[in-house]
Amino acid sequence: MVFSSITFIYYFLPIVIISYFLTPKKYRNYILLIFSLFFYTYGEKYYLILLFFSCFFNYIIGLLISNNQKKSWLILGIIINLGLLAYFKYVNFFIDNFNNLFNLNINTLNIVLPLGISFFTFQNISYLVDVYRKEISCQKNVFLYLTYITFFPQLIAGPIVRYKDINKELVNRQESYSLFREGVNRFLIGLGKKVLLANVLYEMCSSLQMVSSSVILYWLLALAYTFQIYFDFSGYSDMAIGLGKMFGFNFLENFNYPLIATSVTDFWRRWHISLSSFFRDYVYITLGGNRVTFLKMLRNILIVWFLTGFWHGASWNFILWGLYFFFFLLIEKLFLLKHLKNKFFSWLYTFVVVMVGFIIFNTTNLNELWLILRKMFGYQTVFINMETIYYLKNYLIILIISLLGMTSLLKKIMLNLKKGKYKMIVSSLEIISYLIILVFVTASLISNSFNPFIYFRF
Amino acid sequence: MRDKIISFGFVVFISGFSLLGLFSKDQDISFLERRKLVTVDTLEEDFLNNFDDYVVDQFYNRNSFLKLNSFYERNILKNKEYNNVYLIDNIIYEKEYPLNIKSVNSFIKKMNTVKDKYFPNQNVYYSIIPSKSYYLDSKKYLTIDYQTLEKMCQNINGNYIDLMNNFNISDYYQTDIHLKQESWLKAIPTLAKKIGFNYYPITYQKNVYYPFYGASYSKAMEVNILDELVYLTNELQEDVIVKHLENSHNKLYNILKLGGIDSYDVFLNGASSFIEITNKNSNMNRELIIFRDSFASSLAPLLIPYYDKITLIDLRYINFQVLENYLNLNNQQDVLFLYSSMVINNSSTIKVN
Repeated sequence: MVFSSITFIYYFLPIVIISYFLTPKKYRNYILLIFSLFFYTYGEKYYLILLFFSCFFNYIIGLLISNNQKKSWLILGIIINLGLLAYFKYVNFFIDNFNNLFNLNINTLNIVLPLGISFFTFQNISYLVDVYRKEISCQKNVFLYLTYITFFPQLIAGPIVRYKDINKELVNRQESYSLFREGVNRFLIGLGKKVLLANVLYEMCSSLQMVSSSVILYWLLALAYTFQIYFDFSGYSDMAIGLGKMFGFNFLENFNYPLIATSVTDFWRRWHISLSSFFRDYVYITLGGNRVTFLKMLRNILIVWFLTGFWHGASWNFILWGLYFFFFLLIEKLFLLKHLKNKFFSWLYTFVVVMVGFIIFNTTNLNELWLILRKMFGYQTVFINMETIYYLKNYLIILIISLLGMTSLLKKIMLNLKKGKYKMIVSSLEIISYLIILVFVTASLISNSFNPFIYFRF
Repeated sequence: MRDKIISFGFVVFISGFSLLGLFSKDQDISFLERRKLVTVDTLEEDFLNNFDDYVVDQFYNRNSFLKLNSFYERNILKNKEYNNVYLIDNIIYEKEYPLNIKSVNSFIKKMNTVKDKYFPNQNVYYSIIPSKSYYLDSKKYLTIDYQTLEKMCQNINGNYIDLMNNFNISDYYQTDIHLKQESWLKAIPTLAKKIGFNYYPITYQKNVYYPFYGASYSKAMEVNILDELVYLTNELQEDVIVKHLENSHNKLYNILKLGGIDSYDVFLNGASSFIEITNKNSNMNRELIIFRDSFASSLAPLLIPYYDKITLIDLRYINFQVLENYLNLNNQQDVLFLYSSMVINNSSTIKVN
């Protein structure tokens, strides 16, 4: 079940909310658990058992680590978690590459990627490591641990919520009208980003991919795809954070206007924060971080960005994507960062790097990728053609809205207006605008526009 | 207080719509979208797989939301195209772009295969019916290059009949892809001259169906266009026998189709793989075989005064290999391949291999 569906918004969500708030406080986690399991089963009938196994296994390993602090339990836990991920997500990639490398003909396996496995695997690992590091106590109540992992707002596509960030709220949280209202607003903003922007941008990308090429058209495609993936994924994160708030949870932010970043380093502090901080805390720092020799630090950064790319998918373009960012982060670390003084040019450089990055991200066929990259820079391609002008005009409004939406401008204007003497009127207009978003989203969902989330495939 | 109102308001809004959807009577058909809707009985078959479709199809006041989405994309985002259609001056144009060279070549090959198998020593004729996008300003809208299409089709082993200049945009329905039946009257003299049948003008009675919502109407979601459909009748048609391969309908028109999901099906009862139209009292010794798409459905009733028998074959619904079981060939029949540019540009549906 996806958040941006009629089933979720108009059927699942009201039933969960009503059941949750009608239930006495001490039983509310059971309500969340039951509905979360239903939520998972609705989209993934066959792998519920895997989810259960993963939760119980990590729950027990957590207890064992807590009892005797043996590193071997932690290693076993990590191996099993990564083993499951490797089997379900990467085994066919390895088989394919083995076949190509050694001219073999091993059959690939008929495996469907379990929903959310990349996310709940990392949540489990972070839990085990944090218990081992004694940053948290282990969870002794299996139902609570199950509720943490399966909690539906973050189960399928993140953000990667760490146990230590919500363990207190899991046991004792304070729901309130104010938090609920905040959650509703955030959920609707995310819904609007996903349905009214990302889905339209998807249509734009599909149209652009079908017509004859020009240099400008490829850059337009890169721009549209960058906006699409941003509004798609940050919209999902907004919805997850909003849903969490409705039930009294405060998840950490996952995006902080990444498309206004003024360096690639800055971009990765703002984009998919829960993933980059996971790699920072559990891989980079574990390997010694930057308190090692220069060469070792280089190795550490390389490992982190190889893994970041590979986490996104079992395909060489994702690895290339990770290494591409490694290259820019490295040159920034070595010398470029101190030269990025002019805000506009720094932003432009970052934005172009990110756009080209998302072309790599989106093109699984490496030959095709090489062709697109060359064409973006004028190889055997006209600079502009009639189709490009047509699509530029046709999608101009959505591009302008996207440009505005990638900045914090609207948010700042609203905050300032709310402080002024017309704050009552502004607040009322804000409510009306949320209602309009919900109505337009409903209209779009009923019209059967394109809808799946990009990050579901990870 | 404000937080309380918003919180309750949200829950009441979403649960209210779900309850209204669940307790309203299910609609079986959406006339606006020209399709059957998913109803509650499908949930008994497979609840988890069908529930999403069911709640979307039976959402309370669904049509208003459909129109609102069209408004959002067309008027707020200023998209020229919505659902692959352009809406210009109350005429809905299906977008036909880009020109699919592979498909056109495949179409040519298929037509030549049919000719070689069934009419190796006969003259055959072919013609292209331009879609409405032919009349769009190609500087403002995306349209296929009709000149290239026409030029490529010269590789069909037959005599070309140029109908492109017989029509203009007013010859098409505003809300449908097809030509109006009365517009064909302008093209029949051209067909007669090229094919060689004896043309004479005939008077018809006009039967008007209004308002007519064509196939494109559902894509545009535009309520303000009031189109009409005219079907032409006269006494001669009473002596005509129509035989379909798939059904027993035996008239040129099926007026029960008017007001249904597709009112254009009034002509020859809609899609059919193989139809024989026999003019009972005629003895002209002239027969016509048309390989065609739906555009010919409204033409055939107007050609029957000039023939003893017309056979209509839609190769999208019948494989050309089995035609020999149904066709009575005598090497004398006139043969016409009559296809719209839309089918030529998407020729994978034609069952010739």
